[in-house]
Amino acid sequence: MVLNFTLSEEGVAVFHDALACMFKFSDDVCLEARKEKLTLTTLNISKSAYICFTFAANRFFSRYNFEGNAQYRDRFFCQLYIKSLLSVFRTRQGDPSRDKDASIERCDVAIDDGPGKKSRLVARIACRNGITASHSLAFEPKAPTHAKFDKTQAGNHWSISSRTLRQLMDHFGPGIELLDINTDEENRVVNFTCFTEKSQKRNANSNEAVLKKPLHTNIAVEMDEFDDVQVQGKLHIIISVKDFRAILQHAQLTSGDLNTTYSDPGRPMKLSYSGDGIICEFILMTVGEKDANTQKHKNPRANTAAAAAANSGRNPQTGLDSGSHRGSSVLANNDNQQSQRQQQQQKTPTRGPLAPRQPQFEIRPPPMPPPATARSDSLFVGQDDDQLWEPVNPDEDDEEDDADNARLEWNTTANEPVILHIPTSNSSTTCKLTKGAPQNPSLRISSYLPRPNAAEQTQNESQPTHLSAGLEPTQRLSEVRRFGLFSP
Amino acid sequence: MRFKTDLKNIRTFSKLTAALNSLEKIAWVRLDDDTVRFTVIPDTGSQVWASLSVDLIFDNYHLQSAEANNTINLELPLGPLQRALKSAANSNHANLRLTKRDGIPMLSMTIHTITKEAAGGGGRSSTYDPDDPFAAETSDIFQQESLELTMKREREKVITQDIPVRVLHPDTVETIMQPKVREPDVHIQLPPLLQLKAISDRFTKLALTAAASASAGRSGGAANANPKLELSANMHGSLRLRLVTDTLDITSVWDGLDNPELDPSQLAVPLDEHPSTRFRLAGADKWATVRVDGKDWSRVLSVGRLEGRVIACFSDDHALILYVYVPHYDDASGEDCVTYYVSSYSS
Repeated sequence: MVLNFTLSEEGVAVFHDALACMFKFSDDVCLEARKEKLTLTTLNISKSAYICFTFAANRFFSRYNFEGNAQYRDRFFCQLYIKSLLSVFRTRQGDPSRDKDASIERCDVAIDDGPGKKSRLVARIACRNGITASHSLAFEPKAPTHAKFDKTQAGNHWSISSRTLRQLMDHFGPGIELLDINTDEENRVVNFTCFTEKSQKRNANSNEAVLKKPLHTNIAVEMDEFDDVQVQGKLHIIISVKDFRAILQHAQLTSGDLNTTYSDPGRPMKLSYSGDGIICEFILMTVGEKDANTQKHKNPRANTAAAAAANSGRNPQTGLDSGSHRGSSVLANNDNQQSQRQQQQQKTPTRGPLAPRQPQFEIRPPPMPPPATARSDSLFVGQDDDQLWEPVNPDEDDEEDDADNARLEWNTTANEPVILHIPTSNSSTTCKLTKGAPQNPSLRISSYLPRPNAAEQTQNESQPTHLSAGLEPTQRLSEVRRFGLFSP
Repeated sequence: MRFKTDLKNIRTFSKLTAALNSLEKIAWVRLDDDTVRFTVIPDTGSQVWASLSVDLIFDNYHLQSAEANNTINLELPLGPLQRALKSAANSNHANLRLTKRDGIPMLSMTIHTITKEAAGGGGRSSTYDPDDPFAAETSDIFQQESLELTMKREREKVITQDIPVRVLHPDTVETIMQPKVREPDVHIQLPPLLQLKAISDRFTKLALTAAASASAGRSGGAANANPKLELSANMHGSLRLRLVTDTLDITSVWDGLDNPELDPSQLAVPLDEHPSTRFRLAGADKWATVRVDGKDWSRVLSVGRLEGRVIACFSDDHALILYVYVPHYDDASGEDCVTYYVSSYSS
């Protein structure tokens, strides 16, 4: 037996909630077990969202025992279909009208693997009416992909009651796809602005089209309502509304406070909250300002920057420099960037003197919508899901090299706030969170795993002594470079 | 051109918008010093002219226009308006103003509201209750839920809902005229619309089912996707709803309804010569009948949510007009009437 644990009725429900939330992003989940914790992680198809739920061994489970075996000494990992797990851990309704109570009393889960053994996850659900149901699920021995988020690079953060935020989301109407989190000039309020670029693209000037635009909603929340708030003035961070809603729907079930940390447009944003014995983390890619860099700029300097980026965009190594997201600020030299960043990390309501003031919102080109997440069980009715029904175009992937549609990839020359590590038994590679959704449904995380993507730096956070969320990479990239897997 | 007002009676405004929205997505709104008029004219189906006194839904009303009689004409999508009003429903304060964003005219609704912490909903029972200070007693590796959190000061949030609009030139709307109809043969107060709608919808569904099974039997043959209902009324308090298909003939009759008195001063002809007088004298068997489209009728009846008094005016085999009197919850007493010109069909 590699791993076995027991869940209470409550535990089953929480487990189910976590899986249901993940199912809104992806079809499969990676389970990773260690002595002190169990981790569920997943990455969505377009690799714009990474989800990690960590369950404390001693706190969340009624019983938890990781034994390991020769192959999996320190940790065990496998990949499972969320759908099948959901049906196993679904909550049974106790029906008081009948004499027998069908609710779950406990759930024993055992995983066995190794030579000469059947590789199965076996879940035995014991109900109060005396019925025991056993489920045996096959799994794939696949190492999980982990995204790492460098907190030190992300100077903006706030936290707020997730229920408050969830209620505010109700004010957003249908047909919107983007959420812009921004601050005003005086830094008094944080604005949540929902909008879409969709119908505008089709026929912006036609009179009828104007009236078909969805509601443009802005919610201003006073700084006072946030805890631990520090946000740079006039900063616009744009993420997918669907993802945000999916997160909040789960967050309001588990915890009081939602914490967010982020740096700049085009860089990842981390959202996290914790419950009783569970830590939930989401790393979302934010929309970069240059994503639509061929579109019109009013600012000629920004244009130059965009053109430069477009030219270099052919080369994935140097392409789409995420450091240049800020229009003209790209012209600042490295030192400037450094000092600017330092300033951001200090009290940052006002921007540093080196950062040129600019009418940021005006020059910002319309951002590309972040890729829609695979599934959209929206909590809200009337969601416009047209895109999901578009026929699949297998060629779409190739066309994405257009500058117009280019993927956002990591700038490998600058310090990276996030690097994805894929620890496997014999090597550690780094994969990129990409923007621009590959629509090809057959494209799975797995197809990326063997692809060596180089990144110059790995920044290890200090190894936590206590249980921490997520998992650390096993090897430094520099150690495996000599295997010749990476371009120089 | 300026328009700025506070909102009041948001529930009524919201219900009216919902009722109009069930017929057509875009409305023509005409604002002047005293009245606000919503007009909805679908390509097919019934049209609505709603004329409300400004005081009914607006407060601190400011209007300024270069047009004659100080009017503003707007084209307004009802869906977004309805959504915005929903946001405003439980607000402390909401206002509406005409503005521009990125050069596009907008009707901007600013809503001051407070979220209800208690009504978070869906929270999973005791173990994860953030209000429970004992929930996070141990483990330092997990974030502590402090008691202070639950005491969190609650601030007013400001929500801005921008509804795209189109400003119409007076010339464009000049040609749109309210329909003129001859004096009605029968006028009668309708029974509760919820009841009428339930039965009408039932009839419509029956007709659809009957048509579908009939056409299936005949292998092909276009099913009648738009069943017609026959509505009749007399001047003796009866309303009759009837459905006739190849296989069905069902009728529902209401009795004891009110035929309101006409005000002679409002009539173009003397009361004695009014068609309704002839119908009254002809007795209870003298029916004025129109045929309406079942689906359209159902959309018309959604005005029932306004909970107003509805008078139906029948012109035999010609037209049906509904006057919906918007109830006032405060002391105001305006001429607030929503007029439905129900599209009718000859038999």
